[in-house]
Amino acid sequence: MQRREFLVGCSAAIAAMAGSRITGYSFGHAGSPNGDIFIYIFLRGGCDGLNLVGPANDSSYVVERPPELRVTDSGDNAGLSLKNSLAGLDFRIHPKAAELKELYDSNALAVIHGAGLTNGTRSHFDAQDFIERGSLNDKNLSEGWFTRFLKSSSQPQNSMFRSLAISPVVPSSFLGSNTTVALTNVNDYKLHSDPRLADLLRTFYKGAQLIDEEANNTLNSIQYMGKQLSSANTGGPVDAAYLKKAGYLENNSFSRSLATLAQVIKMDVNLQVATVDYGGWDTHEHQTNIFNTLTEGLSKSLGAFYNDISGYQNRVTVLVMSEFGRRLRANKSGGTDHGHGNVMLALGGNVNGGKMYGTWPGLSNEQLDNNVDLAVTTDYRTVLSEVVVRRLRNPKLGYVFPGLTEYKPLNFLQGEDLPIDFSK
Amino acid sequence: MARKSILDLVSIPPAALTNAPGKNVIALNRMTFGVTSSELDHVNKNGLTGFIEDQLNPQEDDEKVNQKITSATLHIKYDAKEDKYPAVDEDRPLSLWNSTLDKLWPLADYKTNMAGQERSRPLEEVRVVSWIKAVYSRWQLRELLTEFWHNHFNVNPDKDTKIAVTFPIYDRDVIRKNCFGNFRMFLEDVAKSTSMQYYLDNASSKASPANENYARELFELHTLGSDNYYNSLYNRWREVPGAISGKPIGYIDEDVYEAARSFTGWTIADGATTGKGENFANTGSFHYHDGWHDNYQKRVLGVEFDPNQPPLADGNKVLDLVAFHPATAKHICQKLCRRLISDTPPSNVVKGATGVWIRNKDNPHQIRETVRYILLSKEITQGWGLKVKTPFELIASLLRVTEADFTPSSSLTGFMNQMGYLHYHWPTPTGHPDRADYWLSSSTMLSRWNLAYGLLNNQQNKLALYDFKAQMPAEFKTLAEGVNFWTERILQRAKPEEYTDALSKYLARGKSANLAVSTADLEKIIPSLIGILSMTPDFQLK
Repeated sequence: MQRREFLVGCSAAIAAMAGSRITGYSFGHAGSPNGDIFIYIFLRGGCDGLNLVGPANDSSYVVERPPELRVTDSGDNAGLSLKNSLAGLDFRIHPKAAELKELYDSNALAVIHGAGLTNGTRSHFDAQDFIERGSLNDKNLSEGWFTRFLKSSSQPQNSMFRSLAISPVVPSSFLGSNTTVALTNVNDYKLHSDPRLADLLRTFYKGAQLIDEEANNTLNSIQYMGKQLSSANTGGPVDAAYLKKAGYLENNSFSRSLATLAQVIKMDVNLQVATVDYGGWDTHEHQTNIFNTLTEGLSKSLGAFYNDISGYQNRVTVLVMSEFGRRLRANKSGGTDHGHGNVMLALGGNVNGGKMYGTWPGLSNEQLDNNVDLAVTTDYRTVLSEVVVRRLRNPKLGYVFPGLTEYKPLNFLQGEDLPIDFSK
Repeated sequence: MARKSILDLVSIPPAALTNAPGKNVIALNRMTFGVTSSELDHVNKNGLTGFIEDQLNPQEDDEKVNQKITSATLHIKYDAKEDKYPAVDEDRPLSLWNSTLDKLWPLADYKTNMAGQERSRPLEEVRVVSWIKAVYSRWQLRELLTEFWHNHFNVNPDKDTKIAVTFPIYDRDVIRKNCFGNFRMFLEDVAKSTSMQYYLDNASSKASPANENYARELFELHTLGSDNYYNSLYNRWREVPGAISGKPIGYIDEDVYEAARSFTGWTIADGATTGKGENFANTGSFHYHDGWHDNYQKRVLGVEFDPNQPPLADGNKVLDLVAFHPATAKHICQKLCRRLISDTPPSNVVKGATGVWIRNKDNPHQIRETVRYILLSKEITQGWGLKVKTPFELIASLLRVTEADFTPSSSLTGFMNQMGYLHYHWPTPTGHPDRADYWLSSSTMLSRWNLAYGLLNNQQNKLALYDFKAQMPAEFKTLAEGVNFWTERILQRAKPEEYTDALSKYLARGKSANLAVSTADLEKIIPSLIGILSMTPDFQLK
């Protein structure tokens, strides 16, 4: 994709939407003081950040990995150079991430490296549990960090679609929330039976159990969606033809999820936070082909999504992360094992893009975490905090991220800081 | 003017919404895929203990199951590929679900032209059979534990076609064979299975560096559990409590690395090159290749391994250490109790079961003894609504209680996905979470309602036929009487009048529920009624 296409796509879409945008905006602002929408993308399985963005000619990097498991500075599959990189090194992004490179060059995308969970776990499931609970060491917290964010924000609580998971099930970051909506298909989000049944079901789900809460959340949200669907032109359903037309990949679950999310965003339902998962990154063996396919899916899907929401780019911040990075040294199966520090990506109209952020820890033996993995120099909560404060306007970091005691923004986002409340 | 809603017509007091069923219903819902009226009658008459003993000693499946499997077909459809294979579009009987490795393994050979649907067919057939057995087998506890262990030792065919190809072997010769057996033997069968070898990459692990995937999940998921992972100690093994005396209470990353070294050379004879100019045989069975083994000394869980051990000795020693570790006993008994009793099982039952597990560590029926202890605990009959039925349980229990003539199809798998149940396709080695908060989202709730209702009322999906007439008394005088009968039959408890009144009023559509109704008219209403009942908390919980 050429940069020009991004710009053209953007202005054309704005022109096409001009009629509906005025009312859309005034409605949209109600969910969040500045109408911001935060999209949290989780790459499940431990994305190999050193294969996605790496210092191409670093000697340790070159020695510890075969060329097919790193980005290179020459040859047919050379990585794509990133301007404003870290530590004066030749950081490059994977050649299959052409759209991400375009977004970076157009200053919409920022890259943060050496970030992650400072807890040393190499367990996928523990790491995800910690991160999604916004904690360093308590995987049994009964609430996810988004849940605490939603509970502590001063914004109106009554928006039906304030928080959304594009998934059949709700990820742990929303654990304990009884208002988060999960859906995979906007046009089929309804009861397939006599409409009187919704009322009858309300009479049966009046208890105080989890199932009663979820039943009522379901009934409320399908009722609301039903009204929206009858009044808004959603452009769906999101099928192969729709995906193709909008520039997404037709057979990619991540593309489908993002297209569905774009559909909801364009319905102006006061959405504030949404999650999308993209799995399959646990590349212990035969990494090259798997990683190429996944990276291409990540890049093309995000590129298409950003065009798809062209009228909303100034309100949207996308953050991409994974539970951990992978080992610097490749194993003998053509793969990499569980590691530590990793790359994070931020995309949006308020991202100070075209620049790398963080502190590069280095890859020589003594610079590695436990002499084996990329170190974490930026706590993942530092990155999330900047979004929460500058874009979502919630200063209660001590409550959202239990145990957090400092706020040191990397400045990858525009927006003003607030006096931070570190109390629990 | 506001629409007149059903809420204006009915009001059900909270107590009527949550009345618990009888003790035998509670217990049977925990150890089966749903209570049937005939099974309940049997247990009410003969007692629960005898039923449990019977279930702990399953025999061959009865004629009904065999007949259902024999008559089942599974649609297969794919386009032709020029010069490779012709198009296929047919309802094909099941022939691979109980097959042998020599017949299945050729399906994994990519030198043979074949549609992908042919290669994944063995797993698809096992899935159909698992439905038939869950709904019709008399040996319900065996089916339930089979599902439990499939999740505990989860594999996912999306990782590698060979997993789908050999899935009948994994289901029969690993999971079902050991589901009441000895955990140490079970663990070794899993470790050497073609499915697990490919799923967690041990098949390609060689010195050095080894591939850690299997070794890590062996500790974290299959045995000790991540609650006993001392990641903050990383490589300071002496600091793990008990380590100096050779009995560390948990594991660290170093144990994972060393265990991964121990399993190098454990692989599958899949015709691949050894890297030394030779090829393995191509049988699909377990193979040890000493040339890939990391032969030097190791230390796992504080125990030193001498260098240059005989073939398989290092790996077997690791399996001994983790299988017999007390943390493993606790981890698995906790999971069993969570599956069989509640999301937060009573600690005294977990503790007691753990003791039984440890005392029977060498008993070939270790798991049966442990499960017996749990099922005979008084807690098994106490507390209703403590678990949300899994989607598999929800649908199986609905088919069982309605005595449906059920024919599984591949469309069912898609419906299950929408409810968050990825039947033999769960991506990560954790298996499905066994917690209410996972099963309940607005999307899955909606799907649970839509599928349960659709199973009764949407005949075009052809999943089930019903004979309601055969299950009810000759005639009812009124609609209300019919509603009472079916409510008690489906929910297995009498519901207060306010509750059945609400249903009657809804079904009567404004007419009086106490007017006379013909059996034929009632029959038309029954699918709606049962559909609604299946959507209530009384049926969605157990």
